[in-house]
Amino acid sequence: MNTYYAANLLIFAGVDIIACLALNLQFGVSGVVNFSFIVFQAAGAYAAAVLSMPPDTAPDYSFQIYVGGYQLPFPLPWIGGAVVGALLALPIGLVVLRRLRADYQAIALLVTSIIANTVINNARPLLNGAAGLALVPQPLDGVVNTSTNSYQYLYIGLTAICVALVWFIAARIVNSPYGRTLRAMRENEVAASALGKNPTALKMTIFVVGGAIAGLSGAILVGFLQVWAPSTWLYPETIILFAAVIVGGRGNNVGAILGALLVPVGFEEVTRLLGRMNIGPPNLIPALEWVCIGLLILGFLWFRPRGVVPEQRRVFPGAPAVEEETRWVVGKGAR
Amino acid sequence: MLSARDIHRHFEGMHAVDGVSIEVMPGRITGLIGPNGAGKSTFMAVLAGTLPASSGSIVFQGEDITRMPAYQRARRGLVRTFQLPSEFGQLTVLENLLVAAPDNRGESLLGALLGKRYWMPDETRLVAQARGLLERFGLLPKESDYAGMLSGGQKRLVEIMRALMLRPRLLLLDEPMSGVHPSIVNEIAGYLEQLRDDGLTILMVEHELHIVDRLCDPVIVMAQGKVIGEGSMAALRRQPEIVEAYLVG
Repeated sequence: MNTYYAANLLIFAGVDIIACLALNLQFGVSGVVNFSFIVFQAAGAYAAAVLSMPPDTAPDYSFQIYVGGYQLPFPLPWIGGAVVGALLALPIGLVVLRRLRADYQAIALLVTSIIANTVINNARPLLNGAAGLALVPQPLDGVVNTSTNSYQYLYIGLTAICVALVWFIAARIVNSPYGRTLRAMRENEVAASALGKNPTALKMTIFVVGGAIAGLSGAILVGFLQVWAPSTWLYPETIILFAAVIVGGRGNNVGAILGALLVPVGFEEVTRLLGRMNIGPPNLIPALEWVCIGLLILGFLWFRPRGVVPEQRRVFPGAPAVEEETRWVVGKGAR
Repeated sequence: MLSARDIHRHFEGMHAVDGVSIEVMPGRITGLIGPNGAGKSTFMAVLAGTLPASSGSIVFQGEDITRMPAYQRARRGLVRTFQLPSEFGQLTVLENLLVAAPDNRGESLLGALLGKRYWMPDETRLVAQARGLLERFGLLPKESDYAGMLSGGQKRLVEIMRALMLRPRLLLLDEPMSGVHPSIVNEIAGYLEQLRDDGLTILMVEHELHIVDRLCDPVIVMAQGKVIGEGSMAALRRQPEIVEAYLVG
């Protein structure tokens, strides 16, 4: 296994874990079916790109057109990606989450994803349209030599730090009274409202938090790939992340990580290996991948709706014995 | 305590609630009865803010709450339960109660991110308070069970306890005996009597007339979206139009 391949695998795994943890907060914990999730990842990627790139009038960059071009040093582009993801969540959330019923919210968010992709695809002066952005500088470019194996390890390390940070945030949210209220809203929004909880405010906060984390995942990805175009964030990409959260276990951070490793990373690897075998027409394997993802979602929703690692029951210290083996003791961790 | 004036609620031309005015007096259990389709549950939903009123006004403890959303009414002490079980199924019984508790510093995003050292004192206090309620209602051994796995009667009790965690001033109970095994009905009625004796005000929709007889005074009768009578059950039984509309049998 060469270094670049290992870096590619681990960084994609890290990005997918971060994305699945964010989607789990929104969908798994809070019940917000965010079918536009990939838009927030894309927004973070574009933001990080234009914050780190020079202006499009620079000699090597004049073949593309884009706004910005601020050449900010690392880590500002990554922070900027997260901030833009959060800021984008505000207007979308205020329009979609305030008045619509949950099923219509899902449809509106799906449509938002399609509209956003179509707009960026066709509005070339904004972010270079369908051709997308290229030659995005890697983090610390100019400070360290980015073409060495050591840099690949450095990038893996930076990604791992971000995974740890997002895990920390997700764990604090899920295991807190705030997370409990989000789960109650997921179970029965009207009843939660009748108990003094403001569902719109709860959804908005978790939508913004998820947007920020999604934006960060996009920033990490674009720094590694150095290119970003509308074809990389079509709405089906969100479905893959949903499949990961459903397979791993909704409402459970460990399940989200497991799902990220099993579905986006696992499928990518299997597809790559099968592709080398030259089986059937060229598009057969990617097409079969989508069939498998669809079957996976249906299969799990039908036979194991709570996923491979189900959401854990919270048992408080001093409670009577519970028969289930896996349970969560508040304040003491899993046992 | 609560005054509703000329409340209307229309659904695409259908008048589910048609000019209802009531007064709820403190420290009593007021009954709201009537045949199916009388508009009782719709009226309760309008009072709680789950449904907006098409017109009319609602004043609760001197404050006009007509345009106030449900969650703000609940924070002021106007708390409802539902006709259909509305427990948080994948939360444990204890968690169902804790969700309802106000004043937990870990309930905000910032509080959650600050960690359990910040919110654990509140949590510990509220767990003790919730366990006190569970003990009073005989469900302490069930605290770690998923609420969705309880029996119909136990779910009703969880809903009532959940509402009590909010320290309500007026409790709106929508058919609390619905779907409950007859052996549990008297038990729940006993708990409601205790709550009344503790000073809690209750407005209750109920079909079980022997329970209304036992608990409620006064009783309001609704039919076809309107109030058609009000008084004690004994007085209502003497009114032929009410007996004909609802109390037959």
